[in-house]
Amino acid sequence: MSNTTADSRWTDGVRDVAPILLSVAPFGLIFGVTAAAADVPALAAWASSFIVFAGASQIAIVEILGGGGAPLVALVTAIVINARLLMYSADMGRYTVATPLRGKVSVAYLLTDQAYLVTSHRFPDPRTAPSVLPYYFGAGLGLWTTWQIATTLGMVLGASIPSSWSLEFAIPLTFMALLVLAIRDKPGLVAAVVGGLVAVAAVGLPYHLGLLVGTSAGVAAGMASERWFT
Amino acid sequence: MTSAATMWTVVILAGIVTFAMRFSFIALFGRISVPPTIERALKYIAPAVLAAITLPALLAPDGSFDAWNFYVPAAILGGLAAWKTRSIGAAIVVGLPSLWLLQWLFG
Repeated sequence: MSNTTADSRWTDGVRDVAPILLSVAPFGLIFGVTAAAADVPALAAWASSFIVFAGASQIAIVEILGGGGAPLVALVTAIVINARLLMYSADMGRYTVATPLRGKVSVAYLLTDQAYLVTSHRFPDPRTAPSVLPYYFGAGLGLWTTWQIATTLGMVLGASIPSSWSLEFAIPLTFMALLVLAIRDKPGLVAAVVGGLVAVAAVGLPYHLGLLVGTSAGVAAGMASERWFT
Repeated sequence: MTSAATMWTVVILAGIVTFAMRFSFIALFGRISVPPTIERALKYIAPAVLAAITLPALLAPDGSFDAWNFYVPAAILGGLAAWKTRSIGAAIVVGLPSLWLLQWLFG
């Protein structure tokens, strides 16, 4: 996925996202298993895969409500976890300026960490990129389909997946790989180091706020460091 | 047990707000012009957010700082594999068996 070609084909999007599916599938299975074991209505938990379509927040809803937490806490937590999508939306918006409304709605619905990251990696500059939509929809629909199948399978299979397989480790591994590929220059490295360390320091904050605090610090540090490297 | 009505309400409201956040700037671009400072900031979102997701997951897997766990060396090996090959799959193919090996040797 490192070569940047000018055209955008949906098959390329599927191909670039295929290795990521290796980690999305276990993540989906884990959500399904968690939801099946939790003390929550199963049908609504299952439906969250296409209504919310954002794994970490879906797990949070199931765990908070299943653990007897307040519905408002579950809702706010899910929203805060998903707030990073605002940042992806801001970046993806540069690629979809000329897209009709229906296309924009579809792009937004399919917006995930992975779909955003492969697209911005493949087409770093929206000014020179062609319509990225075929590529993006290939990646996005590949992820969507995998997520629906994996979460459904997880709910059906339930506890029969042994925890000794440590499938949950596939999630940080994928993000580690995306991180390595996302660091393109020295200010980018500064953004990553500061963002990561601040997020670790802020890990005790409620509602996963450490993620937003760390990201903001990293972005600010990356911008500030530009003048050292030019 | 949480009632079905409560669960559905939370799921649907979370879905609506999540979609609104996904749609927000995609809808606004083209209608407003984006200040150059914001344009510059967007470049650093990917590395910053990825590090802010990855490092706590490795160094504080259970929510409190604990760098002494098998995730760390296995993820470093996976990260090196991704860096060498420029491929995400390589991180899984190298990292997950590394974790199994470490758990088998020292677990």
